[in-house]
Amino acid sequence: MGKDACQIKGNRNGLVITVSYGAEFLDVITFLKQKLSSAQDFFAGASVKLFFEGGEFSSDEVDAVERLIEQFGMTLDRKPPVMMNDQSAYAGEDREEDESEDENTLLVRRTIRSGQQIYYDGNVVIMGDVNPGAEIVCSGDILVLGSLRGVAHAGVGGKVDASVFAFRLEPTQLRIAHYISRAPDEKLPQPMGPEIARVVENLIQISAYTH
Amino acid sequence: MGKVIVVTSGKGGVGKTTTTANLGTGLAELGRKVCLVDADIGLRNLDVVLGLENRIVYDLLDVVEGNCRVRQALIKDKQFGDGLVLLPAAQTREKDAVKPEQMRELMTQLKKDYDYVIVDSPAGIEHGFKNAIAGADMAVVVTTPEVSAVRDADRIVGLLEAAELYDPKLIINRLRPDMVRKGDMMDIEDIDDILAIPILGVIPDDESIIVSTNKGEPVVTDKRSRSGQAYRNIVRRLEGEDIPLMDFQEHGVVQWFRKFIGVGGSR
Repeated sequence: MGKDACQIKGNRNGLVITVSYGAEFLDVITFLKQKLSSAQDFFAGASVKLFFEGGEFSSDEVDAVERLIEQFGMTLDRKPPVMMNDQSAYAGEDREEDESEDENTLLVRRTIRSGQQIYYDGNVVIMGDVNPGAEIVCSGDILVLGSLRGVAHAGVGGKVDASVFAFRLEPTQLRIAHYISRAPDEKLPQPMGPEIARVVENLIQISAYTH
Repeated sequence: MGKVIVVTSGKGGVGKTTTTANLGTGLAELGRKVCLVDADIGLRNLDVVLGLENRIVYDLLDVVEGNCRVRQALIKDKQFGDGLVLLPAAQTREKDAVKPEQMRELMTQLKKDYDYVIVDSPAGIEHGFKNAIAGADMAVVVTTPEVSAVRDADRIVGLLEAAELYDPKLIINRLRPDMVRKGDMMDIEDIDDILAIPILGVIPDDESIIVSTNKGEPVVTDKRSRSGQAYRNIVRRLEGEDIPLMDFQEHGVVQWFRKFIGVGGSR
């Protein structure tokens, strides 16, 4: 019995416990009990999302896991109590991608001026300009439907495939995850059209935007 | 009921006080009743620019603290008398001696008696700035064609929005058309590109401003001065007239066309 049958993961919303079909159910319960009691204080109060995947679980089994979670002082996030049959769609990396698609997006309908900052856990869309001295920091992608002349930091928290897009991309500084680049000291010709910045081979690269 | 206009900039030395004095004098010249308020407590100089320094008895703080009545503290202008009065700032105190609520109350009181109350804001974005914008109905942001001044103006526009003082107007001060033509100075378009707020006027760099400031006579009354003309245009725009911006590029097809159809010729 091991990790494969039951996984505990943390994300920004709380814990995700995934129980896979096929394992001896009692083993799953013992494993959970053991795990949770090993750090009871840590888990107490956490919000938990339960996933059952790979097959049919009886309502008794679901109940047993739910009860266990409540016993340890955690709250159950019941929004979609997911019961999944298609294991492949939720295995490994695919799941990560799904998470990013679920990421929230903040829509800002104004110009961000010097001294103003936008911090957001998710993607940010600015309908306006980002002026020099302004800062946009978020965990996802940044889209500026206007001129980006301030500082943009996309993919905070390690999302290296995050991108920064602007109708006029002339930032003071660009950061994607842990990569940093700045505008060259000499004046550049103004970009002709929309551009997008991405990390390519460990460097932030700006290219004309074509879909 | 009059209108309270705050003149502000963020950066120091861009011409807030000169602008306040000239707008006030210009409006008084048109027959409006104007009260100028110096909100730069501790660093007052609007009185100096107007040549009224030696007449100060009471100041803004005396009014706010109840040491005198508002009327007692108001100083009549040499030229316009009751038509243009100044409420001077206190020189010996700190900016935090006044609270925004007190300023708001004072403004409500002043705009009952005057058509325009123009507040000269101190540089910076701290306490003094917050006092100056309290009770204002409209903001005029002054900048010069320098990146640092424009950056600060941008910050100010953001702060004004946050203070729910919407739709500020821009005055670009000390523009040098010759330098702009050579590409050595930001032009109006560059500034408008960043700030994107309506331009109330553009004042060309002019030695006569320095002369008139030192004499204590605002340049707006000097009919021969270009900068005086620019201020007179701004005053008329404040009064709701639609006057095109002065043309600094005195050549080209646009100029010829304007002359031809008779709008906004060169001066």
